[in-house]
Amino acid sequence: MRNGPFVRITGTMLLTGFLLLSLGFAVEGTFETRAQFANTFARQAQIQQAQIDLEELLRLQIDEENSLRGYLLTRDPFYTAEYRSAAAGYDEKESAIRKTLGEEELPGADKLLIDYAHLQLEWRNTVAAPLLAHPRLRLQELDKRNKLFADYETLTAAAIRRELEGTGDELALSTQEQLDRASYLRAAWVLVFGVFAIVLNTYRSRLNRELEEERTVTEILQRAFKSESTPLPHCDVGSAYLSASSHLAVGGDVFDVYRLSENRALILIADISGKGVDAAVLTAFIKFMVRAIALRNSDPTAILTEFNVVLSKAVGDPYIFVSMFVGVLDTDTFRLTYASGGHDAAFVRRPNGVAQLAVTGPVLGVMEEPFGTETIYLQPGDTLVLATDGLTEVRNPAGEQLSDQGAMELIERASPGAQQLADEIAASVRARGGNRVGDDLAILAIRVVDEDVPHA
Amino acid sequence: MRKACAIFIVCLISISGNAWADCRVHKGEHIVLYSTTDDPSVLMWDSRARLREYHAASFDEAQAMLPHALLVSPGTHGDVVTCISSYVLSPLFATPDDAIGVSITSGSMKGIVRWVLGSDVRPLHKN
Repeated sequence: MRNGPFVRITGTMLLTGFLLLSLGFAVEGTFETRAQFANTFARQAQIQQAQIDLEELLRLQIDEENSLRGYLLTRDPFYTAEYRSAAAGYDEKESAIRKTLGEEELPGADKLLIDYAHLQLEWRNTVAAPLLAHPRLRLQELDKRNKLFADYETLTAAAIRRELEGTGDELALSTQEQLDRASYLRAAWVLVFGVFAIVLNTYRSRLNRELEEERTVTEILQRAFKSESTPLPHCDVGSAYLSASSHLAVGGDVFDVYRLSENRALILIADISGKGVDAAVLTAFIKFMVRAIALRNSDPTAILTEFNVVLSKAVGDPYIFVSMFVGVLDTDTFRLTYASGGHDAAFVRRPNGVAQLAVTGPVLGVMEEPFGTETIYLQPGDTLVLATDGLTEVRNPAGEQLSDQGAMELIERASPGAQQLADEIAASVRARGGNRVGDDLAILAIRVVDEDVPHA
Repeated sequence: MRKACAIFIVCLISISGNAWADCRVHKGEHIVLYSTTDDPSVLMWDSRARLREYHAASFDEAQAMLPHALLVSPGTHGDVVTCISSYVLSPLFATPDDAIGVSITSGSMKGIVRWVLGSDVRPLHKN
């Protein structure tokens, strides 16, 4: 059992939706991961900067001590200036590091740095300041205190280093975890995306296969349903067909030129309510049924009457009706007897203008009313133009129908050759409809020609 | 009783042997003192216990212990009198450090014997 078009469209849309959704999530996830990475890398950069600043801080602290030693040994004021410069640099750097530690929320390292700063301040007050004021005051006790400060500052600096390194390691680990998570997430999305893509592709392949099967069936049927125009003696026959189903060459319109005998031809054009493949199925029925009836009885009225009965009984669908023009053309005398069951798009183009052929009965499949027969004689140069309502009802962009009058004007302006005429009318219809075919259109043109005049 | 005394002596020797075994310097070895902290001077302590306490103490506690220490200039020479392996623990050290008994052989403090940290001692190789 085949899926209906609605199920196909819904299924395709659903899968495409899932596909787009998973793609959206994957893209969003990538951006989120990128933001996380950017944040982690920024933190790592800050920690690294704090580590560099810490080394710089220790260097400045040693500069302070060395400047003090230099002054104690030489009493040169140059060293006091160096000492103050190093002390100022130290304070500045210490503020920078504390700011970073505060931003990174590292209370452990922050506390250690505060301890370190206190030690340094105390060293300045209890060791450096007395020595700067009294350089001769270099006592063993003062030197021991200096040593104590040096030991404890080394100890504290090492602890701060460890704290920063620990945070750096944590961030590196966090980066690794983020990388792992991003990899797993990406893999998961690729998997989801891939599965959806495979499902969608499988589904699409199935639909394509079904469509292909349908097209194959249609092509086979088309050969049976195809409207045909047999060459007729002394006549130039042309035809055109536009289907409202753009991918199909069949529709609900049908024409047929069929030679009943050496000098008699059945001419048929019909328009079935509806369009597409369903209507096309009926065209085959009409074509062969009308041929069969005409082979027994070639009177157009009898053909329509009998077909009307058959249509009602055989098809049995009250919503199916057919407008049909049936004519029998004597190719020796060009006498055309015809009956028109509600089919008004029948015209004769003569040198002095275009005339519309009268309808001789109701549309078939609606009621059982009598059909009349009309007879006309065609002259060399005359063209019988039969069309379906796709011609007269084609609308321009403003929504105006072409109408019978418009169709007659179109036929009058067309080239004399039957095929050219059919092609030009079909092109005009397509152009008027904005290159879209809203309804099936069949055109059959039969032009009576002198044998001496070459066919156009 | 005699047997117990013999076992005690053996144990003492083996413990003493182990204490020396992993030391960076050995008894009688000539060394030079030099600290790797910011201040290269070396604190020498009157007991190994204070040496150990100094490195585990808070700043204030350590400050209070300073009267028990001598400060010697970097480059002071000495001889190793004894060594206790991995005796000093400190948050600063990755592994415990040795406590080394040193007899100073140069400078104004020549002849004084005190305890120093293993990392403040460098073996002196005389050619």
